[in-house]
Amino acid sequence: MAVHSAINGTTAIPWRSSRRKLSLLEQLRGCQEAWCPGAPWDREGAHAAICGTPAGSFLVVRDSVTSQPSLLCVSAGGENDPVLDYNIKSINKVFQLSESRLSFSDLAELVLFYSFTRDVLAVCLSIPQCIYSVTDKNKNRLSQLEPKMWLCTPPDQQTDEMTHREPSIVMCSIQLTSTNGALCVINPLYLREHGDDWLTNRATGTQCAMLPSNFRRERRLTTTRTWAGAGIHTKRAISLEQEPSAASTESSGLTRAKSADSPQCPLTASPPAVPTGVVLRRPSRDAACSQENRLSTESLTPPTPLNLGSLSGTVSEVQHHGSPVPMSPHRVSWIEDGVWQSPPRPSSLLQPPSLELDSLSISSIEEEQESQMQSSTIHHPSAHRLADKVLHRLSAVSQALGGLVSQKKRLINRVQELSERKGGAFTDNVKGFIEMTLKCGVDSERLTGSEFLQEVRSSLTSLRETLLDHPEIQTVLDSITDLSDLEIDSLVELSLHKVALKPVSAHLYSCIRNSRTNDGTFERLQSNLRLLEKNKLAELGGSAGVGVPDNVTLERIQQRWTSMHEAYSPNKKVQILLKVCKSIYHSMSANASSAGTVFGADDFLPCLTWVLLRCDVVTLQIDTDYLMELLDPTQLKGEGGYYLTTLYASLYYISSFRPRMAARQLSVEAQNSLNQWHRRRTLHCNQSRRSKNRRTFRRQPSRDRGSKNLETNTESNNESAKGNDSVDVNSEQQPEGTEMLQPLTEERERGQRVEDESQMSNPALDHHEQGTVVSEQESRQSVCAAEGQKDYCK
Amino acid sequence: MNSRGSGGRSNGTLPQTKICQFKLVLLGDMAVGKSSLVLRFVKGQFDEFQETTIGAAFLAQSVCLDDTTVKFEIWDTAGQERYHSLAPMYYRGAQAAIVVFDITKPETFERAKAWVKELQRQASPNIVIALAGNKADLAEKRLVEYEEAQTYAEDTGLLFMETSAKTAMNVNELFLAIAKKMPKTDTQNPTHAARHRGVNLQDPDAQSSRACCGGN
Repeated sequence: MAVHSAINGTTAIPWRSSRRKLSLLEQLRGCQEAWCPGAPWDREGAHAAICGTPAGSFLVVRDSVTSQPSLLCVSAGGENDPVLDYNIKSINKVFQLSESRLSFSDLAELVLFYSFTRDVLAVCLSIPQCIYSVTDKNKNRLSQLEPKMWLCTPPDQQTDEMTHREPSIVMCSIQLTSTNGALCVINPLYLREHGDDWLTNRATGTQCAMLPSNFRRERRLTTTRTWAGAGIHTKRAISLEQEPSAASTESSGLTRAKSADSPQCPLTASPPAVPTGVVLRRPSRDAACSQENRLSTESLTPPTPLNLGSLSGTVSEVQHHGSPVPMSPHRVSWIEDGVWQSPPRPSSLLQPPSLELDSLSISSIEEEQESQMQSSTIHHPSAHRLADKVLHRLSAVSQALGGLVSQKKRLINRVQELSERKGGAFTDNVKGFIEMTLKCGVDSERLTGSEFLQEVRSSLTSLRETLLDHPEIQTVLDSITDLSDLEIDSLVELSLHKVALKPVSAHLYSCIRNSRTNDGTFERLQSNLRLLEKNKLAELGGSAGVGVPDNVTLERIQQRWTSMHEAYSPNKKVQILLKVCKSIYHSMSANASSAGTVFGADDFLPCLTWVLLRCDVVTLQIDTDYLMELLDPTQLKGEGGYYLTTLYASLYYISSFRPRMAARQLSVEAQNSLNQWHRRRTLHCNQSRRSKNRRTFRRQPSRDRGSKNLETNTESNNESAKGNDSVDVNSEQQPEGTEMLQPLTEERERGQRVEDESQMSNPALDHHEQGTVVSEQESRQSVCAAEGQKDYCK
Repeated sequence: MNSRGSGGRSNGTLPQTKICQFKLVLLGDMAVGKSSLVLRFVKGQFDEFQETTIGAAFLAQSVCLDDTTVKFEIWDTAGQERYHSLAPMYYRGAQAAIVVFDITKPETFERAKAWVKELQRQASPNIVIALAGNKADLAEKRLVEYEEAQTYAEDTGLLFMETSAKTAMNVNELFLAIAKKMPKTDTQNPTHAARHRGVNLQDPDAQSSRACCGGN
């Protein structure tokens, strides 16, 4: 059977003979009527049938009108547990769960995928035993299956059957390798044509996993495998039929992880496993190597019960934060091989730039916090390993997506080095910044908390500009060719946090604390907290039937807030904030009275407020202020900006709550707050590194003057007079010649990104436009990069 | 970056168009269907222009208009009276707003008028405001006449459509009309560069990954 023919430069893998056993996918398709029955089956009927069945038993219900599959009903396992519902979207013949981004070309593929991989589900789907024994010859049996029969087989009995089956076709085609940051996508047509057995089918021999077969469920949680592409040549050269003997004799090129795809233990001499491979991923070269070493050791020494014990320990740990907790969506699409060894820690804990945040669901990285917490609460000996794994996973995510990590590391290291270099200009700048910041705020009564933070922000921006101007940094940056200016700025910003913000963050906290104590915010927050904390969600305006986090989730949220406070990097804080918001959303729908509702701000804001009333609002206010002022202005947009605004708004609601005040009346406090809001968002500017007239740290004083002047005006004038401020600033700065462009950029920033366009007079804009059209071509391109609404950017 | 999407879709197919990004805020009384309207819009679009977000209060969606890709970042607001004073935090800097009311509830129309007034007074001067009379599928319960809202919208210079998030009536049309009304400027979208970030063939260590995707 080992016929290989080259077709279009690829190695074709012959189809198996017709007497093959049906693949699981085909089996599923064959009995689709059983698990996806038509009328009269509806949600209620499905629930009744599913209730009490083992966890993972499922039915797909069709829409009564369109008879399209619309709902996936899954048993949570317990007699009294509610049946879980997941909406199925089908758009253009592509099926996906509405909470997931993974889509499938048919329903059976979807079901098969979720039987291997939990992804957004609370538990993996269970496929009953009876269909495994079906072959080509008796496949008509499949079509006779009925939903009741489909549900009647206890899934536990399937395990052994399952491992005896031949591999089925794997349907998903994303091939992510994180090494070198390369993103590799395999043509799905190729996989459809040839399967991906050539990728997944090999490592079943010597390197076979030691997981006993009854760990199937756990194994499912760890669907992604490590996989070394280097071994692929060897793998391909060997016929599929030769396995497992071929695999067992071949030990060199194979570094496939054993854990995920090969559940059976050599001791039990089980035949090859069903490949669970859906998303193949490889953690990083380092991890793969360490694993390789481990694997080779293991292949030399046959597994002993001791080995098994330690492994199962690890696995049950994974399970602990995995399947039995139905409330936490667990994205296995990202790397989570439960048993790899601690990869080298990233040199910095700085997170991937949050430019990825806007475009990427953080769901994939959301679990590390939980696993850290949970593993610590169960005091498992290898808890640290999980934490490492999780850190690694985070970096792998960014690596796989951005291809940035090595450059990023290099950049961060270089910035660190520059900041420590004796006699270097940047060292002095950083030192100066730290000293100034530490000195300031303590003795200065003149500044409010936010004004002080705004100065810190503008100093940070200047430091960033200095860095961008630095020849050594430019060399590093020049090697990064595929990032936009904004992304590069954000990268440099991140590396700066460690050297500049970390040493002063505690001091900044205490400054905010002082300032908020002095202006009475904390007092109001705390007294209103007592007033409101007994309120149910409905009393906060939430609509009936919306869920709120249970105690466990609430505790987890509180822990996350704590870790948010511990993070000094605003970008990291925002990431944690998004995770909290996501878990609130999850609680809202998971504990809701009716399934499938999607909640907007009408429900989210009350729910967030409800949560905040059960948290340390004082610390949260500090973090919110810190974020508001110090987050890179480009990050204030998008999802991070939205939820930060919502957090700010919710805290503001609590602190300004007055039981009998007419809500419509915009209070004096609200007005003041808005003025603050205006000012904080208008002072900072984000300048492109390519802009010609870059302001450096050394020029800082003159800019500060300008800013302060603006602030003074802002404070002394009322709203309607503010429109002139920008003009004042500009005219004041114009004599400085080369720096003239800067305020204009600032101005544009203000107009574009921030707010209060209402306060800008159009004639002023026109004036600027004419003055800047040519000379600012470059800086405009990057500055405008995200929002292009202004007429003056024609 | 739809790398979590269905995978096989080719990435580089997006034409080299202008990309404009706008902040759009949703205002309107509670339960008039603000989020449903946007969800209907977002879900009805092609996946590849959709970005995953953690929840429905903030959604991002791009639409294609001739040679321009218009990306909306949609900020939902809480419609309850008690949260009214928080709204300016949301609509500041917004370039577009949809003020939604429920055609079966006249008080929501009054509230919508108040929002429009506030926006025209306090929001960006160039903000594009659209008025949406939602729940048009409940025609038998209608209490706000089409003509009344239409006249009001004309007088105040708003886009106006009656919509139904339930039947999808006029939903895409509304967003397209807004998109058409937005000033277009090429913003050289940063995600554009990111989209083409891929395999780095310069990297000597990329060998293994090349072996897997090269197909031979």
